[in-house]
Amino acid sequence: GGLAPVFPLPGEWRGKMDEEKAYSPSGVFAYLELLEARAYEAAVKQEEMEQQEEKLARLKARVQELRLQRDKLRAKVDLQQQEQPVKEGAVSNPAPPSARAVLEWKIKSLKAMLQIFYLTGISGKLSKRGVCFCISTAYEGTYLDSYHLDLLTKPEVQIYRHSVPIFIPLQQIAKKYLQTDIKRFLSVLSDHLNAYVGRRYQADQLQEHFSGLLKGTLQRNSLCNLLVFNYNVSSESKTFPFNVRLLYGDPCCSLPTEVVVSCTPDAPASLAETAAAHSDLFRRVALHKAFRSFSSA
Amino acid sequence: MDETVAEYIRRTVLKIPRDEIKMMLQKWGFLSEAQLETINFHQIKDNISQDVVQLCEENSADIKQAAVLDIIYNNIYPNKRIWSVYQMNKTGEETEFFDLTDFKKKFKRLLRSALKNVTITFKEYEDNAIWIRIAWGTPYTKPNQYKTSYVVYHSQTSYVFISASVLKSNLPLLCQALVVASNYQDIREMELRSHSLNSLKDIVFKRYSQNFQTYSPRPLTEKNVAPETVDLRIIQENRNEKERIQRLNREVFGDGPQPKIEFAQYKLETMFKSDPKMDVLDKKEPFRCLVKFSSPHLLESLKSLAPAGMADAPLSPLLTCIPQKARNYFKIREKKGVLPGSFVSP
Repeated sequence: GGLAPVFPLPGEWRGKMDEEKAYSPSGVFAYLELLEARAYEAAVKQEEMEQQEEKLARLKARVQELRLQRDKLRAKVDLQQQEQPVKEGAVSNPAPPSARAVLEWKIKSLKAMLQIFYLTGISGKLSKRGVCFCISTAYEGTYLDSYHLDLLTKPEVQIYRHSVPIFIPLQQIAKKYLQTDIKRFLSVLSDHLNAYVGRRYQADQLQEHFSGLLKGTLQRNSLCNLLVFNYNVSSESKTFPFNVRLLYGDPCCSLPTEVVVSCTPDAPASLAETAAAHSDLFRRVALHKAFRSFSSA
Repeated sequence: MDETVAEYIRRTVLKIPRDEIKMMLQKWGFLSEAQLETINFHQIKDNISQDVVQLCEENSADIKQAAVLDIIYNNIYPNKRIWSVYQMNKTGEETEFFDLTDFKKKFKRLLRSALKNVTITFKEYEDNAIWIRIAWGTPYTKPNQYKTSYVVYHSQTSYVFISASVLKSNLPLLCQALVVASNYQDIREMELRSHSLNSLKDIVFKRYSQNFQTYSPRPLTEKNVAPETVDLRIIQENRNEKERIQRLNREVFGDGPQPKIEFAQYKLETMFKSDPKMDVLDKKEPFRCLVKFSSPHLLESLKSLAPAGMADAPLSPLLTCIPQKARNYFKIREKKGVLPGSFVSP
């Protein structure tokens, strides 16, 4: 329906305008703006009202619909109960689930399935030209970054675009497995990514929580597969610096394969034992956990 | 302290905007907090720089420390230079264990063996970026601290960002040093240049927002379905068309900010296609033509072309492929095959 005019009719115009002019010396344009704003506000209010009414009418119709459906189902149940006398122990057949209920159940179970996949770390979704995978990484209970891969399936499986960091050897892994065994490709890539974020997490935790023990800077690289740093060890009320070189030889592993812990030549002989013990610890335990055990010991 | 070093520090401080000087000196860390407290940072820059030089004199600064201050300045204001991207290749497939000390040693050794007079300074940053500053000299003159090249390298990647100085002749030596130090085999220049270093990184490291369709366990926020203009008296005539354009735009450009490049250049070497009867050109030679698009932010302006009604959506793939192909210099020759990508030559 049309909107009633909100601003005064032409006869009243001049009178109103003079009135307004007396109060707003900024002139005609300002007055026009004022009128436009008023018209807009009124239009908004009217629209809201109309929407409310429409919504009310819709809901009323829906209620009618549902009542009708309920009555139909009731009638159906009554009919069935009349036709088949209830046998002992048998439960009356429930009305077959409506198409809508089946659909809702399907959607719910699909969502649950996708949620499970997401929790396993690899999830996918069909796209227009292929599939889009999402690899979610985590380290010891902490969810870390997610990486995406957009794959085309025609004419052959290829990576269209991705958000995998540049220093992960994606092309190498793809060359080996993408064409032949896509599950393996995703699994290997997921291992690389999870190990990388695990190593990075350990190094970040070390820098964040144990900077007091560290001496100087922690030398690391993009893949976090070579860490070199110095830390203080106290013995007989004196502190000695230890130098550590951690090499993570296996790109799919978040523990180092080579550990070299060395102390300065002037350190007492007893420290050599400590160095060996620390070396062994770094090989077995996550870096920040190892340091936690030092500070508590 | 050397006269030249003092002058260099003075000029570097003068480049810094006044409000940032204290912060940069703190980052530099060469002057103590107590010393910084003695400087009045509200006076004119000339006087501030004189005070700084005075304090550096007390601490006996040499060119090495001055070079670090220069790196800090360029790291905070990289957009004052043009950066080119280079890509390195190697055939081996073993995992790289990038050792920073090893890299620095090899780099310095190779440069110094070819050119004795060169100042090399390194600075590592939190994001695994290694900044290298090289001031070039000649076999007979000391390094000119005002003719510097900068290299930014992220370990275990194959990309290097170089902002060369005026002395282009030193570029091959620099490239060779990088290849040897990082254990690669060769290096080539990519057709990608811009003032914005971070945008170049975004493009080659694929950090710009790409629209990935994935199932997200979090419910997607309902897009506001209510029409924008509530006034019923205003009707959108081309609503469908607008929505189609928005959708296409979002598919091509994604939702996030675009990497910042300032120009795209297309060198055309194609034949002039005219009515065969007219026979405009006597010789059948390719028509040579250079088309250059420039803008303070080229990709954002391309993104807004279709919604603004200035171009048809979808835009030509030659324009929209820039971040994905990681290049903004193109050579277009005659189409030889049927595949659309074949006519853009490297």
